[in-house]
Parts: sequence; C-alpha cells; structure tokens
Amino acid sequence: MSGALLGRIGAATLTLFVVAAVFAPVLAPYDPTLRTAQPFESPSLAHPLGANDVGQDILSELIFASRLSLTVGIVTACLATVLGVTVGVVSGYLRGPVDGVLMRGVDVILSLPFLPLMIVLTAFLGQNTTNLILVIGLLIWARPARLLRSQVLSVRESGHVQAARAMGATHGYIMVRHILPRITPLVAAQFVRTANVSIMLEASLAFLGLSDPFQKSWGAILFYANARSAFLADAWLWWVLPPGLCIAAVVVSFAFLGYALEERVDPRLRSTRPEGETLKDAETPAPVGGGALQ
Amino acid sequence: MAQYALVVLVAVSLNFAIPRLAPGTPIDYLVPSEQVATITPEQRERVLAQFGLEKPLAEQYWLYLTGIFQGDLGYSTQQGRPVVDMLLERLPWTLVLVRGAITLSLIIGAGAGFLSAARRGGRMEVGGLAFFMFLDSMPPFWIGMLLLVLFSGYLNLLPVFGALPLTGAGGGFGLTFEVAQRLVLPLLTLTLVRAGWLFLVARSSLAGELSEDYIVMAEAKGLSRRRVVLGHGVRNALLPLMTAVAVEAGTVVGGATVVETVFSYPGLGRLIYESVLSRDYPVLQGAFLLLAVGVIAANFLADLLYPIIDPRTRTADVR
Repeated sequence: MSGALLGRIGAATLTLFVVAAVFAPVLAPYDPTLRTAQPFESPSLAHPLGANDVGQDILSELIFASRLSLTVGIVTACLATVLGVTVGVVSGYLRGPVDGVLMRGVDVILSLPFLPLMIVLTAFLGQNTTNLILVIGLLIWARPARLLRSQVLSVRESGHVQAARAMGATHGYIMVRHILPRITPLVAAQFVRTANVSIMLEASLAFLGLSDPFQKSWGAILFYANARSAFLADAWLWWVLPPGLCIAAVVVSFAFLGYALEERVDPRLRSTRPEGETLKDAETPAPVGGGALQ
Repeated sequence: MAQYALVVLVAVSLNFAIPRLAPGTPIDYLVPSEQVATITPEQRERVLAQFGLEKPLAEQYWLYLTGIFQGDLGYSTQQGRPVVDMLLERLPWTLVLVRGAITLSLIIGAGAGFLSAARRGGRMEVGGLAFFMFLDSMPPFWIGMLLLVLFSGYLNLLPVFGALPLTGAGGGFGLTFEVAQRLVLPLLTLTLVRAGWLFLVARSSLAGELSEDYIVMAEAKGLSRRRVVLGHGVRNALLPLMTAVAVEAGTVVGGATVVETVFSYPGLGRLIYESVLSRDYPVLQGAFLLLAVGVIAANFLADLLYPIIDPRTRTADVR
C-alpha cells in the first residue's frame, strides 16, 4: 500500500501550498513588491528569510509566488487534459485516417525539444502569464493524448461498447457515455502529471529570466539569486534553498498523487503481484515524477 | 524516415513563422534591441531589402528554406557574426555534457531501478522510490546551485565558472585536466536529474516484465533468481527503457540548457540564455533549430537500433 501512503503525503503537502496561495495577503508579513528591508539583509526576527538584492522580504516573495506556480500548474493541466482527452478519445475510437493524422501530429510535437521551443516562443510573444499557460498547454497535451488513445483502443472493443453500437448509438454518445467513464482514472492521473510538468517548465523559464516581470515566481527568485551569485555567500541558505524546496515540494507532491492514482489504474505497479491479472497492452511504462522539463 | 523529415520541416517552419506572428514586425527582431526605437525609415528600408522582407511571403519562405540547407542561419544582432559559426563553437561542449549525462544516468538510475524492481516488497522499496521521485522533482538548476555551494563555496574543490581556465593552462594533459575539472559539476547535476527519472522508468519496466508468464516458466525450470531477473527480465525491460531514453532526448537538452546557465558552461544552452538576455533573436532561433535537429536525429537513431536489440520489432514495426 505504498502508493496510498505517498498519495496522502502528496495531498497534504499540496493542501498546505493551496492555503498559502489563497491566504497569501494575510500570511505574508510584507508586500513582496515593496522595499521593506536593506538589500541583501541577513535573516532576523523581522525578516525570517532575509531580503533580496533590492530589499524585498524573501519570505513574503515565497508565499506570494505559490499563487503563480499553482495557477500555472492547474490551469495548464486543465487545458492540456481537455485537449489530450479529446484527441485521445476521438483518435482511438474513430481509428482510420482521423487517427493517422492526429497521431502523426502528436508524434511531431513529441519530437520537439520543449524547453528550447518554449524559450523561443515566450521570447518572441512576450512574457506574461497568459502566454506562458498557452505555450506550455499547447505543447504538453500530446503525451496524455497518446496514452489515453491506447487505453481507448482496448475499451472500444469491450462488450458494452459493442452492444451500444449494435443498438444504434451515435459515435458522440458512445464516446461520452461509454468510453469517457472507463478512462476517467487514467485521465485523473494524466491531469496530475501535466500539472507537475508545467510547474517545472514554468520554474525553468522563470529561472532563465522569461517570467512575467510583474509576478513573483519561485523560478524568478532563483534567477535573481543566480544573477547576483548568491550561492557564493551565506545568502544561499535563505535565498537559494527555500524557493527550490518549494518547487521540489509541489512537484513531488503532484508526483506522489499521480503515482497513487496510476497504481490504482495499473496493477503492475502494485507492490504485491496481482492475482491472475496481467495488463498486456499497456504502453511503455509512464514515469511518474516531474519528468523535469518535458 | 518521412516522419523525421516532417518533424524537421515543422521545426524549420515554426522558426520561420514565429517572428512573423509575434507582436511588431520581423524587423524589430533583426536589429540590435537598443536601436529598435531610434532606427530611421531609410535604415529600415535597407534592412528590409537586405533580408528580403519586402518580398511575398511564399518567396520569403523559399529563400529561408534554401538558406538553411546552405547553412545560412543569419547573423547575430549583437556580435554581427554568422549564427552558424557561433553555434558550431558551442556544440561540442553540449555534446560532451549531454552524452556523458545520458551514459552515467543510465548506469546509476537504471541500475538502481532494476534492483528495486527485482526486490519487490523489500524494506528499501518505498524509501528508494520516494528518494528517486524527489530527485526527479528537483529543478535541475537548483541542484546545480546547491552543488556549487557545496563543492566550490565550502569545500573549495572545484572551479566555479566556464569550461576553460581563464588564464591559459598550456596544452596537453594540463588543459585536459582543467577542462575535466570544470565538467564535473554540470555533468553531476544533469546526471542526478536524469537518474531519478530513469530509476522510475526502469523500475516499472522490469516490474512489468517480471509479472509475465515466461518468468514463471523460467522459475519453474529451476533457474536461479539471478538468471531469471538478469537473463530474462532485464533483457526484455531494456527495450522500453531505450525507447524512453530516445523519446526524452529533448528533455535532457532542456535540462542541459538550465544547467549550463548555472555553471556558465559555454554550450548551446548557455548561448540560449545569453541571447534571451540580450534579445539576440537570430541566435536564439538558430540554437533552437540545432537542438531540435539533434533531438530528432536521436529519435531516428533509436528507431534504427530497435530491430538490432529486439528481434520482435524486425518485421512488424519497420516503416
């Protein structure tokens, strides 16, 4: 039952971050956009994590930055999941030329290096959160689409789908009423994974200086820390360590959650061997973690 | 084959389309960023003519395509040098880093992953899984910064910056040593990041194989556990692993981009970072194109290798 335990840990940590994001103005001691301390100030009671190069309170920055990461993660995951489910279900259910064209498109997207492409896109299109979400979302739906399609391929051959078809149900009706419910657990797992990937991508883009300059982001805090060589002084302890820990904690929580969900879908991952049950046509096993920068 | 040619064409076309879809006009991306505001109409005309931007779109596209196949990727707006030269200068550094990281992370990550799958239900299982998941969830640039703090800040063991000594170290062995020293940390960072992910893939891949009937058969024959796992399970689990490594080649490149930035390591990733900061768009685009072609080539190579590794794919999947 390792998966269930990891899942619970993940859910608890995420709840913590959601609370921090929602109540940021109440929880943060200062307005993170204002100069409230001396630049490069060391931690003190007034500023538990010190101040950055322009005298902003780092703790307040961290708390407010959770808003961006979670928003990007969840909104992008919604976008990518809707696209992925639509393409996966239509492709797997209809088969034939539609499937051919859609899957070729998926293959093309999956063979592009995402991070460099996103860097080029955000550099040209402008650095704001909307662009960021669109750019990430429009690229990462391809993986869930392919995974879901292979699941749909086996579901469409099952008895109740055949029966519905024999009784003259329309394709749309079958896809929504019979296929979708059967793949829901896998969709949930994929949703978590895409959230995971997009948070990591957002952090990487921000670290390269491509975040919205008007929004606090954990990656952007690290961008400034790196540009000011904070890691060569003691400042790494309060300026470099905390934002990275936040990113890692959110990403790993999503990964734990995703693992717990996937374990329920794919018995092969369970610690004890399932009795008399093997999943033959599962795809290449999907890694669960951040899959950094996919 | 056609598949890969198509992807290259898509990458090239994206590169052509992006500056034309972006806000402003392509010309904003062809002159040094600090001069965009002050450029005179005559100068504007001249740049337009120089890059053929007044021609119809279809002709521009054709010129762009033929240019690329002749190795013309334009000129850096900051340095005035051909983009191709700048890319070729940086490419070897990235190749060394990426190839090294893939090899090392395969040995460490896949080794540990196979071990974990072979010992299902052991005491170490949940701990190992959580550890590698955490490793996989850490931002690569952050791992790099922490390693810098540890090895250069506290232990004072390794140089912090670049790939070559700032003062000449002569040639021969001395230089090799200096270069190797500066490669350690970026390589270690990228390896750690990839090892976490490979652990997860290798583990679930072998776990899947070990639940198959032929394993029961092998055990029934009285083979040792070692022979069953290594000779039967791992052998079959390697193919999905190979596929995953090839498919994720783009991810390694992405990781290299941020890791090189942390260590000021003069590869393509660092070049991307520099051109983002100085808004050197032609260089940015050239670097993306080269990385894309590299990743696509890796995928293609993997496709060619499958039939050699796994006889089952020899007839069925060859397109």
